[in-house]
Amino acid sequence: MLILRVLQSGSLHGYALAQRIHVLSSEVLAVEEGLLYPTLQKMLVKGWVTAEWGTSETNRKVRFYRLTPEGRKHLKCELSEYDRVTQAIQNILRTA
Amino acid sequence: MGEIFRRIRYLINRRRFDAELESDMEFHREMAARAGHSNFGNTLRMREQAREAWGWTWLDRLVQDLSYAARMLARSPGFTLLAVLVLAIGIGINVAAFTVFDVVALEPLPVRDPGSLVRLERRSPNAYTDGAPYTSLLFYQRNAKTLSAVMGVMGVPPMQVDDDIQQASASFITPNYFTELGTPAALGRLLDPTRDGDAGDAPSVVLSYGFWQRRFGGDASVVGRIIHIDKKPATVIGVLPYAFASLGGQRPDLWMPILQQPYFVEGSHMLLDPGDSAVRMWGRLAPGVSAKAARPELRALTDELRRQHPKDIWDKEFISISPGGHMQVMQPEMYRVAAMVAVLALLILAVACANLGSLMLARAVTREREIGIRVAIGANRGRIFRQLCTESLLLAMLGALAGLALGSAVIKIVLTKLDAPKWASAAPDWRVLLFTVAVMLAAAIFFGLMPALQIARQRQRKTIARQILVSAQVAASCVLLIIAGLLVRATEHALYNDPGFGYQQMLSIDPHLGRHGYAPAAAQAYFEQMQARLRATPGVLSISLVKLPPLGHEVDRETTEIDGHKVLIYPNWIEPGFFHTMNIPILLGRTFYPREKNAVIVSQSFALKQWPRQNPIGQRLGDDDATKSIVVGVAGNAHINALSDDDATEQYWSAQPDDMPEMVVLARTVGALDSLPPIAKSISESLDPKISPEIRQLKVLYHDNISGIEKTAMAVSLIGIVAVLVAGIGIIGLVAFTVSQRIKEIAIRMALGAGKAQLLTAVLRQFVWPVAIGIAVGAGIAAAASRVLRTALYGVSNLDPASYIMAIFVMMAILCLAALLPARRALRLDLAKTLHYD
Repeated sequence: MLILRVLQSGSLHGYALAQRIHVLSSEVLAVEEGLLYPTLQKMLVKGWVTAEWGTSETNRKVRFYRLTPEGRKHLKCELSEYDRVTQAIQNILRTA
Repeated sequence: MGEIFRRIRYLINRRRFDAELESDMEFHREMAARAGHSNFGNTLRMREQAREAWGWTWLDRLVQDLSYAARMLARSPGFTLLAVLVLAIGIGINVAAFTVFDVVALEPLPVRDPGSLVRLERRSPNAYTDGAPYTSLLFYQRNAKTLSAVMGVMGVPPMQVDDDIQQASASFITPNYFTELGTPAALGRLLDPTRDGDAGDAPSVVLSYGFWQRRFGGDASVVGRIIHIDKKPATVIGVLPYAFASLGGQRPDLWMPILQQPYFVEGSHMLLDPGDSAVRMWGRLAPGVSAKAARPELRALTDELRRQHPKDIWDKEFISISPGGHMQVMQPEMYRVAAMVAVLALLILAVACANLGSLMLARAVTREREIGIRVAIGANRGRIFRQLCTESLLLAMLGALAGLALGSAVIKIVLTKLDAPKWASAAPDWRVLLFTVAVMLAAAIFFGLMPALQIARQRQRKTIARQILVSAQVAASCVLLIIAGLLVRATEHALYNDPGFGYQQMLSIDPHLGRHGYAPAAAQAYFEQMQARLRATPGVLSISLVKLPPLGHEVDRETTEIDGHKVLIYPNWIEPGFFHTMNIPILLGRTFYPREKNAVIVSQSFALKQWPRQNPIGQRLGDDDATKSIVVGVAGNAHINALSDDDATEQYWSAQPDDMPEMVVLARTVGALDSLPPIAKSISESLDPKISPEIRQLKVLYHDNISGIEKTAMAVSLIGIVAVLVAGIGIIGLVAFTVSQRIKEIAIRMALGAGKAQLLTAVLRQFVWPVAIGIAVGAGIAAAASRVLRTALYGVSNLDPASYIMAIFVMMAILCLAALLPARRALRLDLAKTLHYD
């Protein structure tokens, strides 16, 4: 879900993606290679992202991952689901 | 949906996708290294995990397994060859049996729209007959809205063409027969309703392709020629195609329009007689109408017909509709025969698979090391199991291919030998292929599963699995051999035993007076003259009349229940001299007085069943008082129309004047049989030139009847021997293997002074119990299953001890030989070498 959200603002290559998540979460969350790429592959299978060739900052050809319309739809679903669950947990923590 | 496309795209462009992933990850690592992180991990593992997301790993593994299996099989060519051969036999026989069933019952005839063709038969709860009167056919044709067409076929005895001595088979058909089937003419034209639909049309005949070739040498000018059929001129209008498919599998040489039957068979009233069920009816369902929808309408029509002709339609009669678009309209009894053949074929497959299974188990032990190493390195047991299953599957596929080829070849030979219709081909159609795949999978599971389980769990030491397999093989082979034995005995019985009546020197002379429209009085006069003149002929010992001649075309059969058992009764109508002519003894009472009414003579078998400990003479037979008959005599059993069924019973009634047109002359002669037919023919000609009687020798008919069972016995014996040999090969393999496994132990025993007998016992003891159990189970199954065969065994009991003993003896002989051959190797050991070798 996080990957999808990050990609919403623009397409990135794999390393930049991992860095972004790490930075935006104030260094709390770190996505390892072993988790990132299999997940990206699964998303490619499901059609939530596509990969395009581009040049990186270091002038190297690399693939950039972009969110697709299905991906956007799926992101919306996941976000609302997450909200729902969080709300529920909050309610319990507050009132129990 | 899109997901599947993406996955497939991956499969096609796999290398490119993988390369892209690799470059991504490399880049990631570069950047990470630059930033100072060294978050490496196992690259290969990550790549594999990423690849798994695409979901094609199972395919990769399958390909790996298959290539490994192929290598393993190639490494032991002897085993592979043997296994494929065994499988080919097992699967091939099943494929052959199924192909026959497919051609006969499943494959639609190559005619126009076979799915809507139906066979129409008269049925009632107590009776059924093959055909219907022509008047009924017209009635249904005119009034049935659910049938778009009604066709009729009437078979008649052979007719003479021009001046030939050899007669030709013939049928009369409704003119729409060929047009409904859409048959193209090979030459000229075929019968059609517009030109042959009236009785007044010019007499025409269509020739079959074979007859055209044989009799007219394939001469194209035969179309338009006038030939004489039973001395009546008719024009040949066309020839049927080579691969002609007829309804019901009939293949007569001559086809004539049914409306001209009175022309060819002078004096015949058959077309107008509402009581003469001579025509076999087929129909085509109207478009969109199902058989279920047609039944009520036909029922209503039958009831209407009964109102018009109450005497000719049975109580509760209805027209049964069965699919007619196949070569053979399946009767329930045929399904039983088919089931039995299927069981036999599957038995052979079972033997083959059990054999293979034990071979694979034996082979498994030699692969112990390989499996052990793989497990030690860390292989998943499930993976190993899957791989072994793939090996079995590969073997099964090879066996199935070989079996398919073998089965098709066998069928080709069988079809040509049986002179089957030319449109039936031996090439497998989709049904046969599907069946082969199913059998292949079943075989793979049967012989592959258990060894694979055992190996994967590394528990081969127990010999229980092997013993069960040996038992299974022995049992299956036993059943086959016993059944073969029963059939062989039946053949013997049929050939050398007295069937209860004399057939050696008998002739049946059938003038078909009824067909020619003879009234009872005229028929009586004809027969009196015929009999008198035949009696005066030298060489004729005895003459009599019977309605349903022995081994004749027509059979009448009733089913009744006595004490809860089904009993088959074959009734007949005879003149008093019948028993004397046929050499059938009268055991009690007397024969009939001429034209005696309300009297019946029963066969000994019937008397024993119906009145077990009473005197049958004087007992009454019949349901209602009006038709009750008194038993006046008991005759010896003579299954003249059910030769092979020892349980059949007979009942005889005295022929009444009304029966005369249907009677047939029986003549017992002495001396050469060939001299009599021409004399009989000339007598008949002088009495009435338009009658040409059908003269048949009972001896020939008898041998034709028996040849059927002879061939079956031979075939099943062959199969049984093959099965035993396959089992024997299995035993040889197992014993050789056991010996090689325990060679050290045997050597030590020998060194310690064990005798030959003791050594043999040590090696073979583990096989004694499985073989014994196998034989017992096999004999039991054979005893139970052979009940079905009773009606075909010509009087041999299905528990006939001689057959069982013979079969078991042959079985044990082969098995002992198979066991001793490799065991002898154990006795000729070079002790020193064996004990030193490690």
